Amino acid sequence: MGARTHLHRSRLATLSGSAVLVLCLLVAGGAALHAQTAPQNLQALIDAAAPGATLTVAAGTYAAPLTIDKPLTLVGDGMPVIQGDGSGDVVLITAPDVTLRGFVIRGSGDSLDREDTGIKVAAPRAVIEGNQVEDALFGIYLEQAAEGVIRGNTIHGMALPISRRGDGLKIWYSPRTLVEANVMRDTRDAILWYSPESVVRRNDFADGRYGLHMMQSDQHTIEDNVFRGNSVGIYVMYGTGFTMRRNLIADNRGPSGYGIGLKEASDVLLEGNRIVNNRVGVYSDASPLRPETNVTYANNLLAFNEIGLEMLPNTQANRFHDNILLDNGQQINVAGGGDLMRNEWAVDGRGNYWSDYAGFDADGDAIGDLPYTAKSLFDTLTGAHPDLRLFQLGPAGDALDLAAKAFPLFAPQPRMTDPAPLTQAPGLPPAPGMSAPPRTANLAVAMAMIGVALIILALGIGPHLHRWAAGHSNEFGTSHD
Amino acid sequence: MNVAIIWTLAQKELGDALRNRWFLLYTIAFAGLALALSYMSLAGAGIAGFAGFGRTAASLINLVLLIIPLMALTVGAQSLAHEQEQGTLAYLLAQPVTRPEVFLGKYLGLALSLLASLGLGFGVAGVVLALSNGSGSPGAYASLMVQTFLLSLTMLSVGFLISALTKRAGVAVGIGLFLWLAFVFLGDLGLMGTAITMRLPVDQLLWLSLLNPLQVFKMASILDINATLDLLGPAGIYAMQEYGDRLRPVFLGLTLAWIALPALAAYVRFHLRGDL
Amino acid sequence: MIEFANLTKRYGKFAAVDNLTLSVKPQEAVALWGVNGAGKTTAIKCLLGLLRFDGQITVGGCDVRRQGRAARQLIGYVPQELAFYKEMTTVDMAQFYARLKGAPAARIAPVLAQVGLGEQGGKRVGALSGGMKQRLALALALLGDPPVLVMDEPTSNLDTAARSQLLHLLLEVKRGGKTIIFSSHRIEEVETLADRVAVMEHGRLQFTCTAGELARRVGLRTQVKFLVPGSQLDQALAILQGAGLQARRNGVGVIVDVAHGEKARPIHTLGRANIEVTDFELE
Repeated sequence: MGARTHLHRSRLATLSGSAVLVLCLLVAGGAALHAQTAPQNLQALIDAAAPGATLTVAAGTYAAPLTIDKPLTLVGDGMPVIQGDGSGDVVLITAPDVTLRGFVIRGSGDSLDREDTGIKVAAPRAVIEGNQVEDALFGIYLEQAAEGVIRGNTIHGMALPISRRGDGLKIWYSPRTLVEANVMRDTRDAILWYSPESVVRRNDFADGRYGLHMMQSDQHTIEDNVFRGNSVGIYVMYGTGFTMRRNLIADNRGPSGYGIGLKEASDVLLEGNRIVNNRVGVYSDASPLRPETNVTYANNLLAFNEIGLEMLPNTQANRFHDNILLDNGQQINVAGGGDLMRNEWAVDGRGNYWSDYAGFDADGDAIGDLPYTAKSLFDTLTGAHPDLRLFQLGPAGDALDLAAKAFPLFAPQPRMTDPAPLTQAPGLPPAPGMSAPPRTANLAVAMAMIGVALIILALGIGPHLHRWAAGHSNEFGTSHD
Repeated sequence: MNVAIIWTLAQKELGDALRNRWFLLYTIAFAGLALALSYMSLAGAGIAGFAGFGRTAASLINLVLLIIPLMALTVGAQSLAHEQEQGTLAYLLAQPVTRPEVFLGKYLGLALSLLASLGLGFGVAGVVLALSNGSGSPGAYASLMVQTFLLSLTMLSVGFLISALTKRAGVAVGIGLFLWLAFVFLGDLGLMGTAITMRLPVDQLLWLSLLNPLQVFKMASILDINATLDLLGPAGIYAMQEYGDRLRPVFLGLTLAWIALPALAAYVRFHLRGDL
Repeated sequence: MIEFANLTKRYGKFAAVDNLTLSVKPQEAVALWGVNGAGKTTAIKCLLGLLRFDGQITVGGCDVRRQGRAARQLIGYVPQELAFYKEMTTVDMAQFYARLKGAPAARIAPVLAQVGLGEQGGKRVGALSGGMKQRLALALALLGDPPVLVMDEPTSNLDTAARSQLLHLLLEVKRGGKTIIFSSHRIEEVETLADRVAVMEHGRLQFTCTAGELARRVGLRTQVKFLVPGSQLDQALAILQGAGLQARRNGVGVIVDVAHGEKARPIHTLGRANIEVTDFELE
């Protein structure tokens, strides 16, 4: 941004509107001049600009609402602020081929009915780049605006209860959108409706409701994103053709609390994702829906979730290999009871790594010699009666499982069987990392606990030390009182 | 009430606890198992590149639920009954001490012994967890120990009540073991059965389970660590939505009631007792 | 110093102590005399505030119910058998009770020396002999230098040597000016230690008398078994009965029922008749 490059579309290069000249002169006039002389009425400049022109806007505060109704490139210099009046949209783009880069956009209305938005785009090929959207009900909204690019923006939602927030990002009937390297906090959802072939990569969406929601939309690539602290990380409803790679999906909790949810999604590849510390790692319902398609899980890490995989018994034609299921409270849950035997739990002789695998590997081929089966009685019970989850983490559930092992009569049917469980965890592709917990503070707390114990013990031993000290001189208790 | 005398009695209880084989055994078992759990989470951390405290904490909660009530119940059940059986209680009360002092001194001494035992167990495991970056937030870990201590006090109080109601230590410990079985297994299993057969509504299931101080401990600990009860399924989600921020005071209130009421009943029984 | 006023202790309908009124003067030693079940121990437990009871007991003017601590502060208590924390050492134990009584720790060493346990300080209480335990109990009772000593059958579980040793110590303590009340069913204990005896039966105080009068007043009798050569057995029996003694044959010997203080009389009677008494024992 430092170098004032004016991006002209080649077909407009020959046009040199007077407005552009005026602005360029202003820019040439020197940085010190900008603040005082920057026109407060940006709309007037836009209205005056010739289509295809590039407007460089100096730092300062400009009044909104703003409508861009011709192909223009607006470049903010020093993050100028476009300040809405707290009603309606802040910036509305109605012409194709508009670029909006380097602005702070704030102050939309808060009506969910009107979907008041920071940047609303209703035309194709928009480039929304490097902007900072804040205090806006909806952040960026592409409404029938195909082939847009949303890149490097930061979106902060309004400080409202989740039910009154708007979507940080809404892509509506806008195929082939690219959403890349954006940061989103405290909004409701990032959602794509009917926008096939869109790509979402390298974004960081946290503390909302749906990290990413795809609805009736096909052929998506979702890669290298971070979805943390939402209610749901990624949710797919009704669609075909999803590739989700190398995403970090963590800490998504709450009543739904899914890392990844698949509802009637067909032809899905999940590869190299880290799905950690969610209520449910992956939830799957009737996916794949279309016959002749699969859902493939390869080389994912599902760790420390309350439930690793939760699937409805209608789930079939899922293929699992080289995944790591590590220390999930419950590795697999069949919601509503039943089994998952109509899925492939190993592909080409390679199954998955299960941290609770109790078999052995005598021939040393890193494949367990006994199959891995999930047949916990308590897990089967909670599958059929979710209310009983209340008794999780208690010894009573363990007692049930122990009883089922001792009396095979009570042992439930296995819910799934991995015929070739891995005995060594496969390596994972690089993915966005997680922050380490505060080691020093933790060490201090642990030491303090030991300290408390030692002090108490010293108090208990105290009177006896006395005796040992006094024992030799035969002077009993002289130091007391 | 003479604080110096209470402290003298408490100190003697502490000294006795250090000599008590059972007490040492419990402490070693708890610390050892907590340590083993920490090592297991360390192995997980090696695979994942980071450790999840949630799972370690879950294992710790399970371990606490199994061992700590057993420890506190048997220790509490022996407290008065054992001394009465030995005749030492009568001799003690023939000294210039009052019954409130004897009761408080014993309770304080045993509570401190439990705290020492927990401090060692949690502390040793905590060092391993911290060194392996596996202990999550220090606050969550500390609060788990505080909740565990409160749980041990509820069971200590129940143990004291048993002790005050029986004359023979063997009988008292037997009753203590049965109550342990009831608190840890029978109550939950019974409630599970009831929930399935009677189709209990979720609110009734929640409140029935909260009658058990072990369940209160479990929920309070999960709430401290996860900030939500969603992992407990519909009942936990119901509790969050229905009571939200009021859950913590409710849990604390129930726990304090379980500490105070049996202890109070035990004290009244001990005070009125005329057959020493 | 100690006042029992209408002390009654009932277990259901059964009165273990029935309307006991008794006063013990300062520096006086009073024995509660009676068979097992006469109510002696119950009265002592009431005095210590261990039991609930009707009536009133005061020690040095302190009501044992309302001012229990103050009353017990005046009392050193020696139980029948010391029920102790076996794992503690003698000195630990003494320190523990000294702190409960608010006695200075400096008293521990002299008191242990006084009862002859000066060398046993580091020993576990469980490892002490019966006599040592009773002497330790006495030492603990004396820690706070209380004016009153309360004892429940202090020597009944001891062998002869330990008993005389303890009695000797108790006599010294008495001479030191303590007020003493103790229960007993052993005549030599009473005769050695007590100034006055309160005789109890079925929970009731029958009468009080001096220690010297006790044997006569209660008609205390002893069975003595004499061994004489077998050929003279019938003759011995006849001579004893002829002398007005209650004698009967028992295997190879004769059993004579004699009043307290007349135990040597049968020997003299037989001796005068030239019948050799080879051995005798007190039953």
